[in-house]
Amino acid sequence: MSAPAPRAAPEALPILATEGLGKRFGHFRALSGVTVAFPEGGITAIIGPNGAGKSTFFNLISGAVPPSEGRVLFRGQDITGLAPHRFARLGIAKSFQITNVFPHLTVRENVRVAAQARRVRFALFRDRAAFPELIARAEALLGEVGLGARMDRLARELAHGEQRALEIAVALAAEPALLLLDEPTAGMSPEETRDMMDLVQRLAETRTLILVEHKMKLVMGVSRRLVVLHQGELLAEGSPDAIRAHPEVRRVYLGKSA
Amino acid sequence: MTEGAPAARPGSGRTGRWLARASRHRVALTLAFLLVFPWIAPYQALAVNILVLGLYALGFNLLFGYTGLLSFGHAAFLGGGAYGCGIAIVHYGLHPGLALAAGTLLATLIAAAMGVLAIRTRGIYFAMTTLALSMCVYYAFYRAEAFTGGENGLRGINVPSVALPGVRLNLLDPTVKYYAVLAVVGLAIWLFSRLLSSPFGAALEAIRENEHRAQACGYDVARMKLAAFVISGALCGLAGALQAIHLSIVPIEIMHYSTSGQAVMMALLGGMGTFFGPFVGAATFSLLQDGLATLTSHWQLFVGAIFIAFVLFLPLGIWGEVLARLRRAGW
Amino acid sequence: MSDLTIGGFPLDLLGLQLVTGVALGAIYVLVGIGLSLIFGLMNVVNFAHGAFFMVGAYVGVFLYGYTGSFWLSLVAAPLAMGLLGLAVERVLVRPLYGRGIDDPLLLTFGLSYVMVEGVRIAFGLTGLPFGAPPELRGAVDIGIGYFPLYRLFLIAFSMAVVGALWLFIERTAFGLVIRAGARDPQIVQVLGIEISKVWLAIFGLGCALAGLAGILAAPLQGVTPEMGIPVLAEAFVVTVVGGMGSLAGAVLAGLIVGIVVAMTSLVAPDMTKMAIFALMALVLLVRPRGLLGRAGALG
Repeated sequence: MSAPAPRAAPEALPILATEGLGKRFGHFRALSGVTVAFPEGGITAIIGPNGAGKSTFFNLISGAVPPSEGRVLFRGQDITGLAPHRFARLGIAKSFQITNVFPHLTVRENVRVAAQARRVRFALFRDRAAFPELIARAEALLGEVGLGARMDRLARELAHGEQRALEIAVALAAEPALLLLDEPTAGMSPEETRDMMDLVQRLAETRTLILVEHKMKLVMGVSRRLVVLHQGELLAEGSPDAIRAHPEVRRVYLGKSA
Repeated sequence: MTEGAPAARPGSGRTGRWLARASRHRVALTLAFLLVFPWIAPYQALAVNILVLGLYALGFNLLFGYTGLLSFGHAAFLGGGAYGCGIAIVHYGLHPGLALAAGTLLATLIAAAMGVLAIRTRGIYFAMTTLALSMCVYYAFYRAEAFTGGENGLRGINVPSVALPGVRLNLLDPTVKYYAVLAVVGLAIWLFSRLLSSPFGAALEAIRENEHRAQACGYDVARMKLAAFVISGALCGLAGALQAIHLSIVPIEIMHYSTSGQAVMMALLGGMGTFFGPFVGAATFSLLQDGLATLTSHWQLFVGAIFIAFVLFLPLGIWGEVLARLRRAGW
Repeated sequence: MSDLTIGGFPLDLLGLQLVTGVALGAIYVLVGIGLSLIFGLMNVVNFAHGAFFMVGAYVGVFLYGYTGSFWLSLVAAPLAMGLLGLAVERVLVRPLYGRGIDDPLLLTFGLSYVMVEGVRIAFGLTGLPFGAPPELRGAVDIGIGYFPLYRLFLIAFSMAVVGALWLFIERTAFGLVIRAGARDPQIVQVLGIEISKVWLAIFGLGCALAGLAGILAAPLQGVTPEMGIPVLAEAFVVTVVGGMGSLAGAVLAGLIVGIVVAMTSLVAPDMTKMAIFALMALVLLVRPRGLLGRAGALG
């Protein structure tokens, strides 16, 4: 895996790519030398056993944490080290592993204020109601994630699964080109997990999603490509079938769970 | 103690019909109350005090209640406004209207300078940094004796009357003075309300609720915080300028951090993050101070104890608690 | 030696002023460490820290009047403030855990009003004069000139306290808990220790250090009910400059602030107070997280 070589469509520019990406915390190398490209469209899942460096990788490509080495490219543009809000404005949205909404705002206002971030930020003396298209957009997105009936509740009053769905609506509000999800089903009941994976698949029909997932089974069937991390390094990448057949992956990952 | 957890807030919850209506007409309702207030207040000079302190607490509340930033440096803005206005009148003989503008401008500049530095720190750090920076301003004004009168304060801000096109307002008449001040404060209240309803106000609330999420949405949190800090400073500066004219003297203590603490106390007593709370807090604080001072010279003991009791048992403040109860009752 | 000058000041004068700065800095160090300790572990800014400093001084001076022993005061003042700190944490601060991070700050701010006014009621508005005890009066020759004995004692004693504190944190079992707790409160729970007990002890220890600083400062300036008010603001500068929650940072920054004060008072006496805050503004511009940042929390 030396150079980024997207196999799906050679001429197409990957939406996101990393070059030699690494992160050290003091003497501890959480991640090193990861070079990988993510194709436009569909779901690419980042998998790996505990401690593989998945969350670190997620934090680096989402701009939450600056890398110690290497670069992150968004549609060919170097975005390494940009402030988090710049990532958002470029069209990279993310949903955190820990539920991360605006607890004391209504569900509708959560998404409306997120949708507003792209258009009007410093309008000091116009009423927020003067932008009905933002409210309409918020309500449409809430319908899409299945929260259409809960729009007047405070975000903190929602159940855990609903809050994750709300967070995804908040992330989508900025009309991102790329949506990053960190373990979207963490801490969910089996029904909630199923609902969430249905939602993820629906979203991927029209968008590009990258998701970090611990449970390999969940993503095998739905992902277009898989990236496998192990001990802070890239172990393999490719189609689900290629990953299933990959001897190294079988040894360190599947072998253990089989 | 989780980092960044917002303090107790009434929230903007599922509001009943009546509260929603009241919220839509919050400026009119607040002004209606302030129009009749002198006839309720024990005496008129106190009413003017409460009006000015209310504006001070209102400006502070933009940052504390709505943006979630606890500043202990707002005395520098109140004081900057007061000194700016007082100096414009005493040393340059400016029209009181221009002097108000000069005071507000000086406070805004101080806020911008302090804000650029303070915004670099986060969380609890912010309170300490703003306090320390405001003390820097305090000592600077203390030393600039030629302009500020130093330790003795700035004296002789005599504004017996204000000439406006067509009228001359006699400020020696307490009623005229109250309504003249209310005209300015009312304008500030209206601007403040517009600001809260604006997309910018919505973004500030988002930053208060969850700074990281707001940033991930694409908000430049540092710049927005700075803007809120400066606007908050300008409102407090206007309050200070009015106070200079009202009291005709600017004591140096106005810039000391204990005056910042006064804003914190008023905001908490009244109810942070509520529109009318600052005026309730200002009235409570003034009446408490006045009432206790006639009983004991050690009134600060009781003010401190009452404040502790509020933090422990009534963190929403008086007005915040009233709103929360009405909301629970389905209003 | 004395004909060498820097900026018009003879070298030995500058040397003496430097030692004066270190003596002043010793007070800042003790106050700053207490504040940083409480912040580093509990994420609480103790706004009553200056009040604890002041009450500690009063307790010491009051006892001195009765017993005539400065040494007894030196033990009793921190002990009394430690006990008061324990009571305050247990009764007032503990109910606030789990609420907003600003709540303990607001509460201790109210508490400082009560403590200052309480002292005014008990001891009057005007304050008490207080000098160095007889055995520590006078001056000794330190090679570059005569220097007040009490200030030398102040430096030595403070350094001994800081050294003992360092050994306590680095070498004892409880010190290990403190270091772990500063990184992650959950680790402490895994060790089988109730974090609330650690917080209680830390709050008491921090307040005791403030009380100790108070009685040590008393012979320099006498005691007044308001003596803690500027100290609180200056202690904030020390923690911001040193790096919040960093004990080593508090030591370094305390000494720097002391030296800056001493040197400014030589060059521009009017600007002494401003210099403290200008220093902080400078650090914020260049290194917002403070000299020894949060990375090495209690290192």
